[in-house]
Amino acid sequence: MQVTNSKNLAIQFVSSLILHKIMDEETMVMGQNITSVPENLKKQLAVSIRSIQWSYAIFWSVSASQPGVLEWGEGYYNGDIKTRKTIQASEIKADQLGLRRSEQLRELFESLSIAESSSTGTAVGSQVTRRASAAALSPEDLADTEWYYLVCMSFVFKIGEGMPGRTFANDEPIWLCNAGTADSKVFGRSLLAKSASVNTVICFPFLGGVVEIGTTEHIAEDMNVIQCVKKSFLEAPASHATISQQRSDYHIDNVLDPQHILGDEIYAPMFGNRPFQATSPSRTTNGFDPEHDQLAEDHDSFMAEGINSQVQSWQHMDDELSNCVHQSLNSSDCVSQTFAEAGARRVSCGARKGRVQRLGHFQEQHKNVKMLSFDPRNDDVHYQSVISTIFKTSHQLILGPQFRNCDKRSSFTRWKKPSSSSSFGTASVVPPSQGMLKKIIFEVPRVHQKEKLMLDSPGVGDETANHAVLEKKRREKLNERFLILRSIIPSINKSDKVSILDDTIGYLQELEKRVQELESCRESTDTETRGTTTMKRKKPYDAGERTSANCTNNEIGYGKRTHVGQAEPTETSLTDNLRISPFGNEVVIEMRCVWREGVLLEIMDVISNLNLDSHSVQSSTGDGLLCLTVSCKHKGSKIATPGMIKEALKKVAWIC
Amino acid sequence: MDNSAPDSLPRSETAVTYESPYPLYAMSFSSSSSTTHRIAVGSFLEDYNNRIDILSFDPDSMSVKPLPSLSFDHPYPPTKLMFSPPSLRRDLLASSGDFLRLWEITDSPSSEPLSVLNNSKTSEFCAPLTSFDWNDVEPKRLGTCSIDTTCTIWDVERSVVETQLIAHDKEVHDIAWGEARVFASVSADGSVRIFDLRDKEHSTIIYESPQPDTPLLRLAWNKQDLRYMATILMDSNKVVILDIRSPTMPVAELERHQGSVNAIGWAPQSCKHICSGGDDAQALIWELPTVAGPNGIDPMSVYSAGSEINQLQWSSSLPDWIGIAFANKMQLLRV
Repeated sequence: MQVTNSKNLAIQFVSSLILHKIMDEETMVMGQNITSVPENLKKQLAVSIRSIQWSYAIFWSVSASQPGVLEWGEGYYNGDIKTRKTIQASEIKADQLGLRRSEQLRELFESLSIAESSSTGTAVGSQVTRRASAAALSPEDLADTEWYYLVCMSFVFKIGEGMPGRTFANDEPIWLCNAGTADSKVFGRSLLAKSASVNTVICFPFLGGVVEIGTTEHIAEDMNVIQCVKKSFLEAPASHATISQQRSDYHIDNVLDPQHILGDEIYAPMFGNRPFQATSPSRTTNGFDPEHDQLAEDHDSFMAEGINSQVQSWQHMDDELSNCVHQSLNSSDCVSQTFAEAGARRVSCGARKGRVQRLGHFQEQHKNVKMLSFDPRNDDVHYQSVISTIFKTSHQLILGPQFRNCDKRSSFTRWKKPSSSSSFGTASVVPPSQGMLKKIIFEVPRVHQKEKLMLDSPGVGDETANHAVLEKKRREKLNERFLILRSIIPSINKSDKVSILDDTIGYLQELEKRVQELESCRESTDTETRGTTTMKRKKPYDAGERTSANCTNNEIGYGKRTHVGQAEPTETSLTDNLRISPFGNEVVIEMRCVWREGVLLEIMDVISNLNLDSHSVQSSTGDGLLCLTVSCKHKGSKIATPGMIKEALKKVAWIC
Repeated sequence: MDNSAPDSLPRSETAVTYESPYPLYAMSFSSSSSTTHRIAVGSFLEDYNNRIDILSFDPDSMSVKPLPSLSFDHPYPPTKLMFSPPSLRRDLLASSGDFLRLWEITDSPSSEPLSVLNNSKTSEFCAPLTSFDWNDVEPKRLGTCSIDTTCTIWDVERSVVETQLIAHDKEVHDIAWGEARVFASVSADGSVRIFDLRDKEHSTIIYESPQPDTPLLRLAWNKQDLRYMATILMDSNKVVILDIRSPTMPVAELERHQGSVNAIGWAPQSCKHICSGGDDAQALIWELPTVAGPNGIDPMSVYSAGSEINQLQWSSSLPDWIGIAFANKMQLLRV
């Protein structure tokens, strides 16, 4: 925000006045077609608008530069002011206030357009404003209605189009109520009006152009108002009394004397209280002030409410906007919502850093617009430019998708649906998808891990070294157990682990079957039949057959047994319960004993204690007897003699 | 290392380019309020010797230039770079790779490593880090995520581990803080989980990839509106937007990229905008509407880069600029 001091202010004032004078001259030059624009048009507008206490007045004059087009001729702003920062405490003359404000607004407009035309596109931001002209106002300072007024300055109307254009063409006044909700075909600035709370707008042909007046209040159609304005133009200032009152709070005293306005152009700071005096013309301005203040306050509070409701409506419109996003560009509804949102947002958010005045940019656009026919699409382009102007000053993204094309400084362009059906997956080039990303996530960390492992492997790392040793031990243990298993299982031929396990499985299954059968056999036969079945190193099914055969035989005969298979003496012989047969390093132990639980284990224990490595064991039980044939090998240096073996076995097996 | 604008683009004059001698991946904007903005870029060389360069960016003059005195070496490519948040008074840079390293960027004589944070209790072995995030609210807190399925929370002031959690069943790919004690992570197991440090036993799965076990590669939490998160899947052109209040159902799937998406970044100044960059060399800015149209959501605007965009950063210190990295170029795009 600019900090102005009184000196600056004075300088600005003088410059604005000069500008004002220049503009006046321009105005005079421009309106030469039918009637010249009166020199004191501004003051007359001021007088008239103040007399009826409406918000603004604009004189649309026929353009000198372009035929058949109405453009801004003159204007007076009498509406709500947002900031009083450019107002000294003493400068409370309402008429001066109003004039000054209008001038400031025009000045701001000019400065924005100058800024744009002079900007080289590099240095942006508020520096541009400062460089271009010392405008007293900056966009942040403006109230909504002031914005409306300012933006109106950029408008042009082809004769016959737009409200002023139609007015001019038909030579008939147009009265519009609820301007904010009007159809944009009827009133092109309806959205602007909406955000500015301008409710009633009248256009009437006058003085060779069109006078437009507007107010934020809803005024019913009344031709008297127009008469009033016209009269105030043409009549001497003194005859204000004849102007009919539209409002109850209208004070004759407070009508300005245009001469006064003219005369007091160089301000000297005036201090003092604000006595309410309603008499002499020279003091009328003082008298007006409390009222004006009060009005202003009313307006301010109204504005505040307006702002709040606008903010709320923005929230709502935000949602609607999202729907709009997908509508066509030509929809002015969309635009209106955007703009209204824009207006509200701008007001409610206050100053933002780095505002760039791009008004001139849209003037450029605006010049293009002049050449086109005034159809809704044109409206959109115009609004587009207006919005882009406004939103360059605040938030880029809120600009919305439709309007980004105006934004020449953005690196991004508006997205369009790709015309070709090149959807994902049908791309012509197929590089590895997400190549670098995947490498970062998957490969780079593993590189680190590998690094670590490589660092560790030269034997220094404790963990890995330990690991190896432990692993080796584990392997050794496993191998050992496989050997034992191999020794137990009779049918093992090969020594690879898989076969050992396979054979073990087979053996176990076989044993299970046999046990079941034997148990069932034993139940059926009584204890009297003593049958032994010897399991040989035969295939399981053979053993099974034998078993069953023996069973049956046992059933039939007593003491008779038939024995099929290899000849190994199985007859019970009381004397032959234990036989040790040494063959070199090997010993074959054959024995028979009473079966009891765990006896086999005990016998095996004894055998191994005798340093004998048994590699083949055949056992069979029947009738409470255990028949056992063990082939073992001496291991170690200590060799057990057959006698020793016998002794030991006798002890454990209770063989007498 | 010139400021040449990229070719064949209508808006080329508005993008600022830095060309590096090597491919770039990691990138971060400094958050200090100093007038010059600094950008750290990390190289991507499949080699031990990698480098982190510090650049200075001037938005007014639209120029970016390297500051060689501040650049330094880094072992292997940094998987992520991040400047300290503004709430931390000092200007530190953190990098992740084999370890979490903190650097102080000074030029007297050169940037020096401040600390190397290794959370392994046994010798030198620390699970390498895929990503990390610095907590804005609590600037001494930094969370890292690693391929050993854990997330480690560090107190970088005291250089100690605050806590370590087993976050996922598989490698964790990215982590993002929501607020002082809450973070979310994505993993190769395809889930997005939210953790609260006050209750370390439990986590909430708020999304799982539709094809089971499709890894999720990146995560971004919307700092302007903590309800929303965005994530990208492996080999997918979709940006999945999640609402943490409605788990498992994504709020939106943004599917207009013509190649896989590599990077995402929420807008720092608006709660409804997100930018994504992908293998189709496009950076798309999306505006998330309240109600999506029937055909899905279209992006708002697009920028076409020279080649696949691998990295994207939209920093709150420069809300009008988006930084992208592709091939060996780093570009700053004006929004």
